[in-house]
Amino acid sequence: MIINHPLLGPRDAAEFVYLGDESLIERPDPNAPDAADRFYEYGYLRDNPAGEHKELWYHEQGDRSWLVVTRNTITHQITHVELARDVARAKGRDR
Amino acid sequence: MAEFSLKADAFLGGFHKDYGTVVVTEVTDRAIASFALPLGGEAQAEKTIKSVLKLDLPSVGTAAQSEDGATTLLRLGKDQLFCLMDKQPDGHGAHRALSEKLAGTVFTTDQSDVWVSLTIRGPDSLRALERICPIDLHPGSFEVGALARTVMEHLGTVIIRNSDDEYTLMSASSSAKSFLHAIETSIENVL
Repeated sequence: MIINHPLLGPRDAAEFVYLGDESLIERPDPNAPDAADRFYEYGYLRDNPAGEHKELWYHEQGDRSWLVVTRNTITHQITHVELARDVARAKGRDR
Repeated sequence: MAEFSLKADAFLGGFHKDYGTVVVTEVTDRAIASFALPLGGEAQAEKTIKSVLKLDLPSVGTAAQSEDGATTLLRLGKDQLFCLMDKQPDGHGAHRALSEKLAGTVFTTDQSDVWVSLTIRGPDSLRALERICPIDLHPGSFEVGALARTVMEHLGTVIIRNSDDEYTLMSASSSAKSFLHAIETSIENVL
Protein backbone atom coordinates (compact mmCIF):
# COMPACT_ATOMS: atom_id res chain seq x y z
CA MET A 1 0.00 0.00 0.00
CA ILE A 2 1.34 3.42 -0.95
CA ILE A 3 0.47 6.55 1.04
CA ASN A 4 0.87 9.74 -0.95
CA HIS A 5 2.39 12.05 1.67
CA PRO A 6 1.36 15.68 1.03
CA LEU A 7 4.94 16.96 1.48
CA LEU A 8 7.14 13.99 0.60
CA GLY A 9 5.27 12.22 -2.18
CA PRO A 10 4.41 8.53 -2.46
CA ARG A 11 5.78 6.44 0.43
CA ASP A 12 5.46 2.77 1.27
CA ALA A 13 3.01 2.00 4.08
CA ALA A 14 5.86 0.15 5.88
CA GLU A 15 7.29 3.57 6.81
CA PHE A 16 4.11 4.40 8.75
CA VAL A 17 2.48 3.33 11.98
CA TYR A 18 -1.31 3.17 12.25
CA LEU A 19 -3.08 4.72 15.23
CA GLY A 20 -6.82 4.70 14.60
CA ASP A 21 -9.87 6.82 13.95
CA GLU A 22 -9.30 10.46 13.06
CA SER A 23 -11.66 11.48 15.88
CA LEU A 24 -8.77 10.83 18.31
CA ILE A 25 -7.64 14.36 17.37
CA GLU A 26 -10.60 15.68 19.34
CA ARG A 27 -9.48 14.89 22.86
CA PRO A 28 -12.14 15.84 25.42
CA ASP A 29 -11.64 18.67 27.89
CA PRO A 30 -10.44 17.02 31.14
CA ASN A 31 -12.05 19.84 33.14
CA ALA A 32 -15.55 19.32 31.72
CA PRO A 33 -18.13 18.16 34.32
CA ASP A 34 -18.83 14.98 32.31
CA ALA A 35 -15.14 14.39 31.53
CA ALA A 36 -15.19 10.76 32.74
CA ASP A 37 -18.01 9.79 30.35
CA ARG A 38 -16.45 11.66 27.48
CA PHE A 39 -13.05 10.05 28.00
CA TYR A 40 -14.77 6.65 28.14
CA GLU A 41 -16.32 7.37 24.75
CA TYR A 42 -13.05 8.81 23.42
CA GLY A 43 -11.02 5.83 24.58
CA TYR A 44 -13.32 2.90 23.89
CA LEU A 45 -16.22 3.64 21.53
CA ARG A 46 -15.53 3.50 17.80
CA ASP A 47 -17.49 3.11 14.60
CA ASN A 48 -16.30 0.22 12.51
CA PRO A 49 -17.29 1.29 9.01
CA ALA A 50 -17.15 -0.92 5.93
CA GLY A 51 -16.15 1.69 3.41
CA GLU A 52 -14.59 5.11 3.69
CA HIS A 53 -12.71 5.74 6.93
CA LYS A 54 -10.60 8.70 8.09
CA GLU A 55 -7.70 7.54 10.20
CA LEU A 56 -4.45 8.68 11.78
CA TRP A 57 -1.11 7.41 10.49
CA TYR A 58 2.32 8.38 11.87
CA HIS A 59 5.28 8.67 9.50
CA GLU A 60 7.76 7.14 11.93
CA GLN A 61 10.40 6.17 9.36
CA GLY A 62 10.15 9.52 7.63
CA ASP A 63 9.50 13.07 8.72
CA ARG A 64 7.65 12.06 11.93
CA SER A 65 4.47 13.80 10.83
CA TRP A 66 0.94 12.70 11.67
CA LEU A 67 -1.39 12.28 8.72
CA VAL A 68 -5.14 11.97 8.30
CA VAL A 69 -5.61 9.31 5.62
CA THR A 70 -8.99 8.65 4.00
CA ARG A 71 -9.00 4.94 3.17
CA ASN A 72 -11.68 2.56 2.01
CA THR A 73 -11.60 -0.32 4.48
CA ILE A 74 -13.02 -2.74 1.88
CA THR A 75 -10.69 -1.98 -1.04
CA HIS A 76 -7.79 -0.27 0.82
CA GLN A 77 -7.99 2.48 -1.77
CA ILE A 78 -6.62 5.74 -0.37
CA THR A 79 -8.48 8.74 -1.71
CA HIS A 80 -7.12 11.62 0.37
CA VAL A 81 -4.12 12.39 2.60
CA GLU A 82 -3.72 15.51 4.74
CA LEU A 83 -1.31 16.65 7.45
CA ALA A 84 -3.03 16.11 10.80
CA ARG A 85 -1.83 19.53 11.96
CA ASP A 86 -3.74 21.15 9.10
CA VAL A 87 -6.86 19.16 9.99
CA ALA A 88 -6.54 20.10 13.67
CA ARG A 89 -6.02 23.77 12.87
CA ALA A 90 -9.07 23.74 10.56
CA LYS A 91 -11.04 22.53 13.60
CA GLY A 92 -9.89 25.59 15.51
CA ARG A 93 -6.99 24.08 17.42
CA ASP A 94 -3.75 26.04 17.78
CA ARG A 95 -1.52 23.08 16.89
CA MET B 1 44.73 11.66 39.06
CA ALA B 2 45.52 10.00 35.79
CA GLU B 3 44.85 12.07 32.73
CA PHE B 4 43.14 10.30 29.90
CA SER B 5 43.31 11.38 26.33
CA LEU B 6 40.61 9.66 24.28
CA LYS B 7 40.31 9.69 20.54
CA ALA B 8 37.09 8.63 18.84
CA ASP B 9 37.30 5.96 16.14
CA ALA B 10 35.21 6.10 13.00
CA PHE B 11 32.17 3.82 13.29
CA LEU B 12 33.35 1.68 10.39
CA GLY B 13 37.06 2.39 10.78
CA GLY B 14 37.05 4.79 7.81
CA PHE B 15 35.67 2.13 5.46
CA HIS B 16 36.59 2.46 1.78
CA LYS B 17 36.05 -0.11 -0.94
CA ASP B 18 36.22 0.10 -4.71
CA TYR B 19 33.97 -2.42 -6.48
CA GLY B 20 34.92 -1.15 -9.93
CA THR B 21 31.70 0.57 -10.96
CA VAL B 22 30.67 1.41 -7.38
CA VAL B 23 32.85 3.00 -4.69
CA VAL B 24 31.74 3.11 -1.04
CA THR B 25 33.46 5.49 1.39
CA GLU B 26 32.66 6.27 5.00
CA VAL B 27 32.37 10.00 5.70
CA THR B 28 34.29 10.80 8.87
CA ASP B 29 34.91 14.55 8.69
CA ARG B 30 31.36 15.87 9.18
CA ALA B 31 29.59 17.05 12.33
CA ILE B 32 25.80 16.90 12.42
CA ALA B 33 23.38 19.14 14.33
CA SER B 34 19.61 18.75 14.22
CA PHE B 35 17.41 21.83 14.14
CA ALA B 36 13.82 21.94 15.34
CA LEU B 37 11.87 25.05 14.45
CA PRO B 38 9.73 26.18 17.41
CA LEU B 39 5.95 26.17 16.93
CA GLY B 40 4.90 29.71 16.10
CA GLY B 41 8.54 30.86 15.83
CA GLU B 42 9.23 29.45 12.37
CA ALA B 43 9.67 32.85 10.66
CA GLN B 44 12.14 34.10 13.28
CA ALA B 45 14.03 30.80 13.14
CA GLU B 46 14.29 31.03 9.37
CA LYS B 47 15.63 34.58 9.62
CA THR B 48 18.25 33.64 12.21
CA ILE B 49 19.40 30.57 10.27
CA LYS B 50 19.75 32.74 7.19
CA SER B 51 21.87 35.36 8.97
CA VAL B 52 24.08 32.80 10.78
CA LEU B 53 24.57 30.24 8.02
CA LYS B 54 23.97 32.49 4.98
CA LEU B 55 21.56 29.88 3.69
CA ASP B 56 17.88 30.01 2.81
CA LEU B 57 15.86 27.16 4.27
CA PRO B 58 15.56 24.53 1.53
CA SER B 59 12.11 23.16 0.80
CA VAL B 60 11.08 19.87 2.46
CA GLY B 61 12.90 16.95 0.85
CA THR B 62 15.83 18.96 -0.51
CA ALA B 63 19.32 19.99 0.59
CA ALA B 64 21.08 23.36 0.35
CA GLN B 65 24.84 23.88 0.46
CA SER B 66 26.70 27.06 1.32
CA GLU B 67 28.93 28.56 -1.39
CA ASP B 68 32.14 27.38 0.28
CA GLY B 69 30.70 23.87 0.71
CA ALA B 70 31.35 23.96 4.47
CA THR B 71 27.71 23.80 5.56
CA THR B 72 24.82 21.75 4.21
CA LEU B 73 21.22 22.01 5.40
CA LEU B 74 18.93 19.01 4.96
CA ARG B 75 15.22 19.76 5.26
CA LEU B 76 13.81 16.48 6.57
CA GLY B 77 10.39 17.77 7.53
CA LYS B 78 8.38 20.93 7.89
CA ASP B 79 10.01 21.91 11.20
CA GLN B 80 13.02 19.58 11.22
CA LEU B 81 16.48 20.03 9.65
CA PHE B 82 19.94 18.57 9.83
CA CYS B 83 22.98 20.80 9.50
CA LEU B 84 26.19 19.16 8.29
CA MET B 85 29.42 20.98 9.15
CA ASP B 86 33.15 20.37 9.27
CA LYS B 87 34.05 18.38 12.37
CA GLN B 88 36.07 20.13 15.08
CA PRO B 89 38.97 18.28 16.76
CA ASP B 90 37.05 17.69 20.01
CA GLY B 91 34.03 16.31 18.15
CA HIS B 92 31.45 18.67 19.67
CA GLY B 93 32.88 22.12 18.95
CA ALA B 94 30.92 22.62 15.74
CA HIS B 95 27.58 22.10 17.45
CA ARG B 96 28.53 24.16 20.49
CA ALA B 97 29.53 27.18 18.39
CA LEU B 98 26.39 26.94 16.29
CA SER B 99 23.98 26.42 19.18
CA GLU B 100 25.25 29.59 20.85
CA LYS B 101 24.53 31.62 17.72
CA LEU B 102 21.07 30.11 17.29
CA ALA B 103 20.14 30.08 20.98
CA GLY B 104 16.57 31.09 21.71
CA THR B 105 15.36 30.83 18.12
CA VAL B 106 16.11 27.25 17.05
CA PHE B 107 16.30 24.08 19.17
CA THR B 108 19.55 22.28 18.33
CA THR B 109 20.89 18.85 19.25
CA ASP B 110 24.35 17.46 18.58
CA GLN B 111 23.85 14.38 16.39
CA SER B 112 27.47 13.86 15.33
CA ASP B 113 27.84 10.56 17.18
CA VAL B 114 24.40 9.32 16.20
CA TRP B 115 24.75 8.79 12.47
CA VAL B 116 27.14 6.86 10.29
CA SER B 117 27.54 8.36 6.81
CA LEU B 118 28.54 6.62 3.60
CA THR B 119 28.96 7.97 0.11
CA ILE B 120 28.19 5.65 -2.75
CA ARG B 121 29.34 6.73 -6.17
CA GLY B 122 29.82 5.22 -9.58
CA PRO B 123 27.69 4.29 -12.59
CA ASP B 124 26.17 1.22 -10.89
CA SER B 125 25.32 2.92 -7.59
CA LEU B 126 21.69 3.45 -8.63
CA ARG B 127 21.33 -0.24 -9.57
CA ALA B 128 22.68 -1.27 -6.18
CA LEU B 129 20.53 1.16 -4.21
CA GLU B 130 17.23 0.68 -6.02
CA ARG B 131 17.00 -2.86 -4.66
CA ILE B 132 16.95 -1.82 -1.02
CA CYS B 133 15.60 1.74 -1.15
CA PRO B 134 11.80 2.07 -1.28
CA ILE B 135 12.09 5.59 -2.75
CA ASP B 136 11.96 6.04 -6.51
CA LEU B 137 15.58 7.10 -7.22
CA HIS B 138 15.09 7.69 -10.94
CA PRO B 139 16.64 11.08 -11.82
CA GLY B 140 13.21 12.28 -12.97
CA SER B 141 11.72 11.94 -9.48
CA PHE B 142 14.83 12.17 -7.28
CA GLU B 143 16.92 15.02 -8.64
CA VAL B 144 20.38 16.18 -7.61
CA GLY B 145 19.92 17.88 -4.23
CA ALA B 146 16.89 15.76 -3.32
CA LEU B 147 16.83 13.82 -0.06
CA ALA B 148 14.52 11.42 1.71
CA ARG B 149 14.29 9.93 5.16
CA THR B 150 13.17 6.37 4.70
CA VAL B 151 14.06 2.74 5.53
CA MET B 152 16.55 0.35 3.94
CA GLU B 153 16.65 -3.24 5.20
CA HIS B 154 14.47 -2.14 8.16
CA LEU B 155 17.05 0.48 9.17
CA GLY B 156 16.11 4.14 9.20
CA THR B 157 18.11 5.94 6.52
CA VAL B 158 18.52 9.41 5.09
CA ILE B 159 19.48 9.34 1.42
CA ILE B 160 20.75 12.41 -0.42
CA ARG B 161 21.56 12.65 -4.12
CA ASN B 162 24.83 14.60 -4.48
CA SER B 163 25.23 14.25 -8.23
CA ASP B 164 24.04 12.05 -11.09
CA ASP B 165 25.82 9.01 -9.71
CA GLU B 166 26.77 9.90 -6.16
CA TYR B 167 24.64 9.53 -3.03
CA THR B 168 25.19 10.05 0.68
CA LEU B 169 23.49 7.62 3.06
CA MET B 170 23.08 8.24 6.77
CA SER B 171 21.90 5.61 9.24
CA ALA B 172 22.07 4.99 12.97
CA SER B 173 25.68 4.58 14.14
CA SER B 174 24.61 1.86 16.60
CA SER B 175 23.76 -0.43 13.67
CA ALA B 176 26.50 0.87 11.36
CA LYS B 177 27.96 -2.55 10.58
CA SER B 178 24.56 -4.07 9.77
CA PHE B 179 23.83 -1.13 7.52
CA LEU B 180 27.14 -1.50 5.70
CA HIS B 181 26.48 -5.23 5.33
CA ALA B 182 23.10 -4.49 3.70
CA ILE B 183 24.69 -2.03 1.27
CA GLU B 184 27.59 -4.33 0.42
CA THR B 185 25.25 -7.27 -0.13
CA SER B 186 23.14 -5.24 -2.50
CA ILE B 187 26.20 -4.08 -4.43
CA GLU B 188 27.52 -7.63 -4.71
CA ASN B 189 24.11 -8.80 -5.95
CA VAL B 190 24.10 -6.45 -8.92
CA LEU B 191 27.77 -6.61 -9.93
